[in-house]
Amino acid sequence: MKKSLLAIALLSAVYGIASPITASAKDVSLLNVSYDPTRELYQDFNAAFSKYWLAKTGDKVTIKTSHGGSGKQARAIIDGLDADVATLALAYDVDQLSEKGKLIPSDWQKRLTHNSSPYTSTIVFLVHKGNPKNIKDWDDLVKPGTSVITPNPKTSGGARWNYLAAWAYAQKHNGNDETKTKEFVGKLFKNVPVLDTGARGSTTTFVERGIGDVLLAWENEAFLAQKELGVGKFEIVVPSLSILAEPPVTVVDKFAKKHGTEAVSKAYLEYLYTEEGQEIAAKNYYRPTLTSVAKKYEAQFPKVNFVKIDEDFGGWQVAQKKHFSDGGTFDQIYQK
Amino acid sequence: MQFKFSKFATVLITSGIVSLPIAAHANDSSELEELRGLVQELSQQVKVLARKGEISAEEITAAKKTTPVVKASENGFGLESADGKNVIKFKGLLQIDNRNYSDVNGLGADGKNISGFDFRRIRPTIEGTVFGKYDFRFTPEFGEAKSASTSSTSGIVDAYIDARFQPWFKVRAGKFKPFVGLERLQSGSDIKFIERSYVSNNILPNRDLGAAIHGDVLEGKLNYSVGFYNGVTDGGDATTVQDSNVDKEYAARIFATPFKGSDSVLAGLGFGLAATHGNFKGTSTASGLPSYKTAGQESSFFSYTGTNVFANGKRDRIAPQAYYYYGPLGVLAEYARVSQDVTNGTRTDKLDNDAWQIAASYLLTGEDSSFKGVKPKQVFDTNGGGWGAWELVARYQENNIDSAAFSTGTNAGVVTTTRYADPRSNARSAKSWAAGVNWYLNQNVKIVLDYEQTSFDGGGNVTNAATPAATGSLTNIADRPDEKTLFTRLQLSY
Repeated sequence: MKKSLLAIALLSAVYGIASPITASAKDVSLLNVSYDPTRELYQDFNAAFSKYWLAKTGDKVTIKTSHGGSGKQARAIIDGLDADVATLALAYDVDQLSEKGKLIPSDWQKRLTHNSSPYTSTIVFLVHKGNPKNIKDWDDLVKPGTSVITPNPKTSGGARWNYLAAWAYAQKHNGNDETKTKEFVGKLFKNVPVLDTGARGSTTTFVERGIGDVLLAWENEAFLAQKELGVGKFEIVVPSLSILAEPPVTVVDKFAKKHGTEAVSKAYLEYLYTEEGQEIAAKNYYRPTLTSVAKKYEAQFPKVNFVKIDEDFGGWQVAQKKHFSDGGTFDQIYQK
Repeated sequence: MQFKFSKFATVLITSGIVSLPIAAHANDSSELEELRGLVQELSQQVKVLARKGEISAEEITAAKKTTPVVKASENGFGLESADGKNVIKFKGLLQIDNRNYSDVNGLGADGKNISGFDFRRIRPTIEGTVFGKYDFRFTPEFGEAKSASTSSTSGIVDAYIDARFQPWFKVRAGKFKPFVGLERLQSGSDIKFIERSYVSNNILPNRDLGAAIHGDVLEGKLNYSVGFYNGVTDGGDATTVQDSNVDKEYAARIFATPFKGSDSVLAGLGFGLAATHGNFKGTSTASGLPSYKTAGQESSFFSYTGTNVFANGKRDRIAPQAYYYYGPLGVLAEYARVSQDVTNGTRTDKLDNDAWQIAASYLLTGEDSSFKGVKPKQVFDTNGGGWGAWELVARYQENNIDSAAFSTGTNAGVVTTTRYADPRSNARSAKSWAAGVNWYLNQNVKIVLDYEQTSFDGGGNVTNAATPAATGSLTNIADRPDEKTLFTRLQLSY
């Protein structure tokens, strides 16, 4: 008995001493489930973070990303897609991970600064070179014969930002008359010939398939299309009013815990807020939230008159219920 | 839509005409502008239609990843989740027999010929998989059960869960065929004869409640199983109620197919050994002893006699077994022996009963024979199709009872006059030969014709019941008359 105890004690001591010395580097794998237009952003960011994490911990981290319409991606996670982190287009979709999936705490948005939105964006118009339809503001989108490209608000986060931006403009120009506002947005959607499921699909429709006179796009997506997808073929038009889009990020606690990746997942998101992370965001045409980087890239982003989701729509829960739930204003105007 | 396409076509044609010299008269620039605008508009509409097609295709592709798959074919009916991890199958087995007994002796409670139609098996089955590795099967019986231990016409045949943790480590629990008898493990829809042999029906367990660990090792060439069951009498089919017997039964089996997957002529060879061990102490109301049916499965040729005769201790079985399939030829051979402690008042003996069979089959139409069903090369079709698959089958089998069951004996050196079985109504052995034809119209429908003749030795002629007595010396014992059966079956399985 005593011998056994002694042996155990010795083994424990040896193991205890040896462990820190012999601890070997780990191979870690993360899955980031994101929305449609962030492909290029996270391609760059993942490479940078892997390098950073290897230098910091000695662990090799491989990050896989999945992209699609934000609403669809949220549902996929709730249905069991094992995401370690979710970087979606809007807070409502992340809320679903808490409400329906019980995968994250309800106060997830307080865990990181800027309501867990490390970067922001807005909605702009992308038109063909020379702006042949002379599109300058939202009013021009409801004119007969103007073909507007936007994805489906039921599946795409970007589309919901588009919709709310149009709604805000119409409301302002119609003295908060809801009937006229609805009529305006209804006319706009009558000019939409194709509803893609995600923002990247709409970009494909407009840029590659040559359909439509104007693309309602994330600002970053519009820059990308203008500078990389179709150099010299497109122009960006900034409307008189748009919406401040705040795409949030979160660790998906339940799955990260299951995978044992909580620490690296948290570090991954926190790295988005660092100077390097913010530089990468800015280079991919997302508006940085870190003041120093925002100042550096100030000239890159046009001045926009913003409405905000919390101040002007009562937050995402209210906006979602009113506009995008079954029977909401979108269903009403799109069925007409 | 058609209208728009026609309009577009018209415009294209018109544009072509405009470009011809003869059409140069149409030099009205505003008209040209209008036409250009129209072409552009129609071009947009065509692009929109094409894009909608692309989006639909993308949505269909995406939906395939999550949409459950409905399956309906000759291989069965069922539903399957998109990832294939959750499956439910609806299966069924229907056997309608016409069973003719040429000799009425010993048949029916009133001695009358009971030949006629019979629903041998009516078994709807639900089976499937959840979470990719947990299989389940549920099969009720609405036909006429003909196992040795029950004559009920309904009940639960199979109800079990089989967890496939690894190919070499699976756990099955519930009511199922214990991993013991080779022919018993063959599906009721795939057996070559209308009734299984004495080995399966009279000696080895039919179905039992319990749990077993099983799996395949050595690249699937060696199958093993170790099980723990409530225990059933010979040929027994357990009920689904809790077992009243304290002692349980253990079963183990190992089966090798060493040349499986090779080009060798021995590729279809399989052989193995199974054994069971258990204890059972019967009572005057629940003897724990079996009765053995004739090949025709309608009446018993052997039963233990008297309320003082019951199981009293160990019951051990051993069953070497083998099959061989080569091209259209199939052979299955199996032996089983049960050693059972039996008591009759003050007398106790270990009785050894055994059975064996050798069965051969040959597919005349050239299909490959196998342990599983036959898939005809050409299905039977009255509209100029094929004739299905035709198979000839033959079998010889015996069931022998320990001679000590019929003889008086000694107990602690004292001569007793009691027997375990009355030779006036019980035979000591049954020997049967059978021949038949199986016609597989397709892989789901089969017609079977079997003739089987059984001779009995060592007694059992009830017409001679008046003399002599059940105890003491016996003379003038007559053998039970031969049983001759002609069975036909129409079977549907899916």
